[in-house]
Amino acid sequence: MAKEITLAQLQKMAERSGLKLSDEDLEKLLPGVNRSHHQLLELRELITDSIEPAAAFVTSRTEKR
Amino acid sequence: MTPTELSYLSITEAASGLRRKEFSPVDLTQACLKRIESIDGKLHSFITVTADLALEQARKAEQELRAGKDKGPLHGIPIALKDLYATKNIRTTCHSAVLQDWVPDHDAATVTKLREVGAVLLGKLGMHEFAFGGPSVDAPFPAVRNPWNTAHIPGGSSSGSGAALATGLCLGSLGSDTGGSIRTPSSHCSVVGMKPTYGRVSRYGVVPLSWSLDHAGPMARSVEDCAILLQAIAGYDPNDPASANVPVSDLRGELKNGIKGLRVGVPRANWFNENKGTDSETEAIFNDALKILEGLGAIVFEIDGQPFSLARKANQTILTAEAYAYHEKRFQEAPEKFGSSVRRRMLEGAFLSAADYITALRARTVLNEQIRANFSGVDTFVTPTAPRPPEAFETIDPNEQNLRPSFTNPFNLTGLPAISLPCGFTKDNLPVGLQIVAQPFEESTAFRVAYAYEQATEWHKRKPKL
Repeated sequence: MAKEITLAQLQKMAERSGLKLSDEDLEKLLPGVNRSHHQLLELRELITDSIEPAAAFVTSRTEKR
Repeated sequence: MTPTELSYLSITEAASGLRRKEFSPVDLTQACLKRIESIDGKLHSFITVTADLALEQARKAEQELRAGKDKGPLHGIPIALKDLYATKNIRTTCHSAVLQDWVPDHDAATVTKLREVGAVLLGKLGMHEFAFGGPSVDAPFPAVRNPWNTAHIPGGSSSGSGAALATGLCLGSLGSDTGGSIRTPSSHCSVVGMKPTYGRVSRYGVVPLSWSLDHAGPMARSVEDCAILLQAIAGYDPNDPASANVPVSDLRGELKNGIKGLRVGVPRANWFNENKGTDSETEAIFNDALKILEGLGAIVFEIDGQPFSLARKANQTILTAEAYAYHEKRFQEAPEKFGSSVRRRMLEGAFLSAADYITALRARTVLNEQIRANFSGVDTFVTPTAPRPPEAFETIDPNEQNLRPSFTNPFNLTGLPAISLPCGFTKDNLPVGLQIVAQPFEESTAFRVAYAYEQATEWHKRKPKL
């Protein structure tokens, strides 16, 4: 089980992200941030080394003039 | 025919009436405008009413039809758009203070298509702010109310589309769907909404919420009307990097092919009972709908719901990360401009790492394969559209949605086409929707099942009393 993120840690993370949020805003955010981190643990269980992300980059040729 | 009867016509009925010259596009448009003026004060479904433009377009359609220049079933039909579709010279707000004065210099690709087939634009509809969070109770425009009980939410984020259709304020609408935003308000307002396959309808000119999960699609009062609208807006668009160059079949023509022998998968186990589970009345209504499908010749199977349950978690991670990335600069500069609901939800994305986002995308690969593998044994999946009836504004719990299964999220993650249509009412007269999901680019299959169910039932004929 991952450690819960604390309000103090969230404040630091917000500062690093260039966000000026009130304590009230951060307190409201905290449960959701922790929930999404727990969800990620479940998602990590699903993947193995061979799994690539579901994102496609398609290169294309530029015709010479 | 009274103005109210006119504004409640289906697109199919209105198109026939116009060609029989029983009424004109101007009569239809005036009927809708009159109804908007008389009842929308209770619902707040419209943010902007474009009455002058609508009447001008209706007059033009009337002249064209009279001159034999028939552009098809949407010619002269009054429609309205969720207020995140860019409309040239018409304010497009996303129901937000951030964009409340934005007047685009271009039309969304879908709006161009609707103009080309002669549809009449009545105006722009309320929504959840930036299509995310919950009802926008502190935005510059009032939150949309549910027409079946105005103390209840209409579902979102295409709230105005659901409420306006249910009350006969327009004949058709476009919504958008990133986690259920076409299907949930369709369910909560008892109308029909189709989230097409990812790539089927151009997103060009639709303000993004999450690029890899956003879908544009139609909402209407009947399955056939939804098929007509999708036929008009579907197709390849080079301006949308995700647009798919896949032919669109005759959606309306295939509606009546029946469902005898069609295999229907119900992913109930390990999903419907997730956390607080599915509301028992909703599940009972859904079970009755399954019996009707069986009566129509479908073969119903129970399948494992585990991958569908996990899909919500990947969907939420991708959605919040992409949504925050799109709005990051605005949040850094003026977070107070966002309403409280969207601010709380979107800012969660600021605290996800690049590795978190990639983990969710890798999980998407796995879940997509697991969910689609079921199609070797079934032709469609069916579920309730929402796990519970629309809750009251007073008792909204922002965490509630994480405590119930999301029946809509998995089909954004997988890009599968999914339709919601009315399938019953609770004892408190609140609507319940049935969701039907098909293989990629097989919207016609979902429409066919939905049409067969609709024709066998009367739910779509009920109208809310305001």
